[in-house]
Amino acid sequence: MLVLAAALLLAPLVAERGTLNDLWSVAFAIVLASAWNLLGGFAGQVSLGYSAFVGIGAYTTVLLANAGWNPWVTLPVGAVLAVLFSVVVGLPTFRLRGPYFSIATIGVGEAVRVIASGMEFTGGSSGLRMPSANFHFLSNYYGMAGLALLTVALVAWVRVSAFGMALEAIRQDIDAAEALGIHSTRYKLYAHALSAAMVGAGGGLFAMNFQYISPGSVFDFPLSLRIVLMPIVGGIGTLLGPVLGAVLFGYLQIKLLASPTLRDFNLFIYGGLLMLVMLFEPRGIVGLWERLRRLWQRRASKPAEASRAA
Amino acid sequence: MSYGLAVIYGVMRIINLAHAGLMMLAAYVTLTLNTRFGLDPFLSLVVVAPLFFGFGVVLDLTLIRRLPRGGTGPSMQSLLLLFGLWLVLQNLAYVVWGGDTQAILTPYTMSSVPLLGERYGVPLLLVFAVSLASLVGLTIVLRRTFLGKAIRAVTQNRDAALLSGVNAARISAVAFGLGTAFAAIAGTMLSALYAFTPDFGRSLLLKAFCIIVLGGMESFTGVAIGALVLALIENLTGAYTDIPTSFQDAISFSLLVLVLVVAPNGLPALFRGFSRRAVAR
Repeated sequence: MLVLAAALLLAPLVAERGTLNDLWSVAFAIVLASAWNLLGGFAGQVSLGYSAFVGIGAYTTVLLANAGWNPWVTLPVGAVLAVLFSVVVGLPTFRLRGPYFSIATIGVGEAVRVIASGMEFTGGSSGLRMPSANFHFLSNYYGMAGLALLTVALVAWVRVSAFGMALEAIRQDIDAAEALGIHSTRYKLYAHALSAAMVGAGGGLFAMNFQYISPGSVFDFPLSLRIVLMPIVGGIGTLLGPVLGAVLFGYLQIKLLASPTLRDFNLFIYGGLLMLVMLFEPRGIVGLWERLRRLWQRRASKPAEASRAA
Repeated sequence: MSYGLAVIYGVMRIINLAHAGLMMLAAYVTLTLNTRFGLDPFLSLVVVAPLFFGFGVVLDLTLIRRLPRGGTGPSMQSLLLLFGLWLVLQNLAYVVWGGDTQAILTPYTMSSVPLLGERYGVPLLLVFAVSLASLVGLTIVLRRTFLGKAIRAVTQNRDAALLSGVNAARISAVAFGLGTAFAAIAGTMLSALYAFTPDFGRSLLLKAFCIIVLGGMESFTGVAIGALVLALIENLTGAYTDIPTSFQDAISFSLLVLVLVVAPNGLPALFRGFSRRAVAR
């Protein structure tokens, strides 16, 4: 983990622009995947509508920047708006359990996209541009890398905190958790809010780097899908999982876009990966690794047991 | 006018009460739409429905079987699995048929019939008729036949059903197959009404979901009522307010949110008792 952090931070010293671009994307993916994991992995509520938060952050930044604000200042504003939205969405939808909740979140994402495409002041379906005076790649890079590190640190903290344990309890058995006095809806809302904040900030940074956003680029469903796939394939509910997933998907994206034949199969690959994970190792790459490790440990200790028995 | 559609949605959602094949329905809708080679869509139902039934059974046997069962209602794992399947199928559709919008035209697509003082499009009427027939047929099967009762038994309490001598595994496969068959029916009919792309299933899934929540997850008539309500509201908002029709998804969803806040167990439950299947207090 620390190695990764160091790599991210030191890369601009040795790598060229192209690689840095890729790393930026990976950092973005890490933010999204790890933040989502708070609600999806720890609390067990799989939300398929996270692109809404990306979009809220992005649009906030663009709109405010166009009104003269310093883009960096708009980031926390975007985060706050995302948090507010997460509460508005969470209150009714958290009444639903499991798969039903997930489907409802699809609706959220879609509804937001439709509304954003329809409204004038958000530029309609043709999107908005940032005022171009502000583009500075290196600071964008460090901004995103910093956010990624912050997100992972936050997730690590939650994991060992009482809050994190409450979420875990909710994931395992919501009724039992309630019986123990855990106010499940409130905790779900907290998790939702925290992750929304991170994702919203990420969205703002996205706008800063790409300089142009549209409902199609920030609100679309495939984005929500990728946000969910990364932690699931990497290892849902773990700290390392989403990061691994983000790196894997980042790599896949690059390869897919580069190869004309493979490009048409991206859905196939995503879907296939999802299916494989669900069928064989629901805990993703991390789960697989754990399984292999236990197998190996058992094999290593067998000779010892045999000699004891004899 | 949209009652026909409403009933289709209801049809799609009904079997879901028996198993976890959620996303797949949307995928089949999409695929079915693309599959029609010169055969009139309504006639093709005869071929499509059984075909998809078979496909559904196979899917259940090969894939769903592997997932750990138990617990109440569909599990997250099965949802995600089917979700993955949906993606794969979508890609398949893109590759085979291309991402362009397609539409099916028949000699009677544009013609309409005067009925009760208004003109109704012929395809719409046919769709309505088929949906209604399917709905009624399904209800009869579920209420009157042994198979139907077995399905309901397995849904309600799998272990008890096993104890009563029901081959739960086989029944589940059949139920799943039925579900996919109905989704196929819905898809074919929709293909007769609208233009479509491989991405088509998503907004339909959403509407179907609204209907389930509206109608309550327990009863079939509830689903039908839910479908009607949704259709009514969609039409009314379209006709009497300025909200453009592209907002329809947002409207459906707002309705869903409203219902969740006001009557989380569906409208029928407002008049009756309680059900804990999918709602966390």
